[in-house]
Amino acid sequence: MTTTATELRFHREVYSGEAIDQAVKTWSNFAEFELSESDQHWIVKLTPKHEPAAARIIGEFGNYVLGLTVDRGGVQ
Amino acid sequence: MSEQSPISDIPEALVSAALTERSVSITLDAELYPLQAVYGASYVFLDRCYVFLDRPEPGRLRATLSAKQAVEEPEALRQLVGEFANELLSCAWRHQVTQDNRVAIETVTVQAIAGAMGEPSLDDLADFDFTDEALDDPLGIAQSWEEKHGRKTPAEAEGERGEEEASA
Amino acid sequence: MRPINLVEIQPRSGTQAFFRWRQIGEDTILVTNLEGNWLILTRDEFTQFARGEVPPDSPFHQRLIDKNFLRSHYDVQAAAERVKARKYFVHGGPLLHVMVVTLRCNETCVYCHASRANMDAVETDMSPETARKAVDLALSSTNGFVTIEFQGGEPLVNFPVVKEIIEYATERNKEIGKRLEFTMVSNFSLLDEDKLRYLMEHKVQLCTSIDGPEELHNAQRKLPQTHNAFQAAAKWIKRVNEAYVEMGLDSTLYHVEALMTTTKATLDQYKQVVDTYVGLGCKTIFLRPIDPFGFAERARLRLEYPRSKYLEFYRNAVDYMIELNKQGVEILERYAAIFLTKILRGEDPNFLDNRSPAGAGIGQLAYSYDGNVYTCDEGRMLAASQDDTFLLGTVDTPYRQIVGHETVRAMTIATNLDQQPDCVNCAYNPYCGTNAAYNYKAQGSIFGRMRDNNVCAVHKGIQDYLFEKLAENDPQVMKIFDRWTTIRPREHFVQEPDA
Repeated sequence: MTTTATELRFHREVYSGEAIDQAVKTWSNFAEFELSESDQHWIVKLTPKHEPAAARIIGEFGNYVLGLTVDRGGVQ
Repeated sequence: MSEQSPISDIPEALVSAALTERSVSITLDAELYPLQAVYGASYVFLDRCYVFLDRPEPGRLRATLSAKQAVEEPEALRQLVGEFANELLSCAWRHQVTQDNRVAIETVTVQAIAGAMGEPSLDDLADFDFTDEALDDPLGIAQSWEEKHGRKTPAEAEGERGEEEASA
Repeated sequence: MRPINLVEIQPRSGTQAFFRWRQIGEDTILVTNLEGNWLILTRDEFTQFARGEVPPDSPFHQRLIDKNFLRSHYDVQAAAERVKARKYFVHGGPLLHVMVVTLRCNETCVYCHASRANMDAVETDMSPETARKAVDLALSSTNGFVTIEFQGGEPLVNFPVVKEIIEYATERNKEIGKRLEFTMVSNFSLLDEDKLRYLMEHKVQLCTSIDGPEELHNAQRKLPQTHNAFQAAAKWIKRVNEAYVEMGLDSTLYHVEALMTTTKATLDQYKQVVDTYVGLGCKTIFLRPIDPFGFAERARLRLEYPRSKYLEFYRNAVDYMIELNKQGVEILERYAAIFLTKILRGEDPNFLDNRSPAGAGIGQLAYSYDGNVYTCDEGRMLAASQDDTFLLGTVDTPYRQIVGHETVRAMTIATNLDQQPDCVNCAYNPYCGTNAAYNYKAQGSIFGRMRDNNVCAVHKGIQDYLFEKLAENDPQVMKIFDRWTTIRPREHFVQEPDA
């Protein structure tokens, strides 16, 4: 059962686009993703697949992207 | 989003902090706290909080920390501000100490470590593509003078003279 | 514990050589430097150090110089020597070669991470031909020391191939000249006097598993109903130890060691576990937490526990062992011994899962019964669930292609703590290590995320405990710790090639 979509806007000067791509792949079992971009942001629309865990999926996904960005040494 | 309450007595150099029921947002002066320090501090909280970073305007960074567990006391979130400030300062300090000692760190490491693969075999050398560019060479040290300045090598100049004479 | 408040302290860089710090008590701050020297500071001392206000003629100033914590007096040569000593293992290739000679096992352990197979699954036996090729690959290592470790399933089930490996390796080594050793991890229930005689003659080090007192052990490690797994292991521990004495070997040095796996059921029984080991004549306990591979994943609701509970168990168990040591009982904890060797002696005991970079691919290789070669045994276990991420090749793949594989390079980078965001700042960096296969299994990438990584939590917790003890500086405890770090080589097990 899917839930409503949540939009996360990751600032390009703070988050790595590659980190987002990798995170989307890893989390694809837990949510549906739509990716787009603006001048300033990577935009991720995510729809968690499990209603009871929706908030957790969104939060952990955001943390995962931050973790991967830091692993890469930040935004180059 | 619910109404934000400002927090008084925030540590110096944090621009502002505000809290909602479950989260606290901290706005920082990006000059005082470089992004690397913010990354480092944010990373420390990943197990306890959902951490989101943003750049609301040039020269500012904003970190929003949302508690993972249900928050019983608003005081717990206020405490997070102090902890985060402490961690920021720690990361900024560490960053500076590392910069100060960078040459020593690299010297010690290079002197101490060598590789584990052993010498290449004749087969490895036979397979190696020596035409590949082996080095990054930002100062052009490996370039000949002619390559750097667009001039011909003596051999190239000799060859051209030979062609001119042949066609004359 | 009142946390150190840097906003109050207002640190200034400029006087400190590179260092890391960690508060481990109310008035106890640990500082460590690049080469692994350490000091315990009070709050006041830490404040002075942080501000660069240490009086130049003070004993504290001299302590900082002696241990290389001041930029103005930094001894690069001394630091390089110490780092080199700690990292000596990068100069040699794989030392440990785990040969899984069969998946068949007569015991069913609730947490089995080896993906054991039933006793009729003969297709999971390694063939003699594959075994010989595995030996050839192992002896190609650039390391002058090679240890072949027999694992399974239960390795005694495929004893003919165990013998083939021992004899072929011994023969080949006559021309190659490694310092060759054999070890076997076995449940002992299939031992008999003939097998024992062979293993003794060929100097195979024997290791078994004991999970604790009999009831606990048998509940977790099941033999067919007519057999008692604990009694079988205990009987043969005693018999093997007797055999060493019969051979004229020093029993304080030569005796069977056992491994345990901590499950939820173990957590309340620290005293009983330690007493069981002491009663069996073991001198070492390795209080290993459960890992997420194999059966343990399926049974995790029953077996798993928060790592804080494990650490509480650990502290209780080691405190108890220390008390026993004070009464003259020889028993040490393996994790503690590994960390203390690094902390107190500046040496690395080369425990492959606890070093930076880790041993996967560069310090060890795992050879599956079917001839596939993996970075480590955990990598082989993952392959049993159709995940070949850590497959490097087969026994027919040339050695340099195996160790030069991009997966090995990736794992070496991933387990180098100096590129991990958390580890790069952690005071325990010089003494610690991470496990790429564990990170991959538990957290989705070989790099992992130390913030919520169970291996990191265990390592930090154990080192917190040890440094608290070191800060207390009790002379009796220091003497015990010194004994725990004294490595007496067991030369009897080295197969020297004939001259």
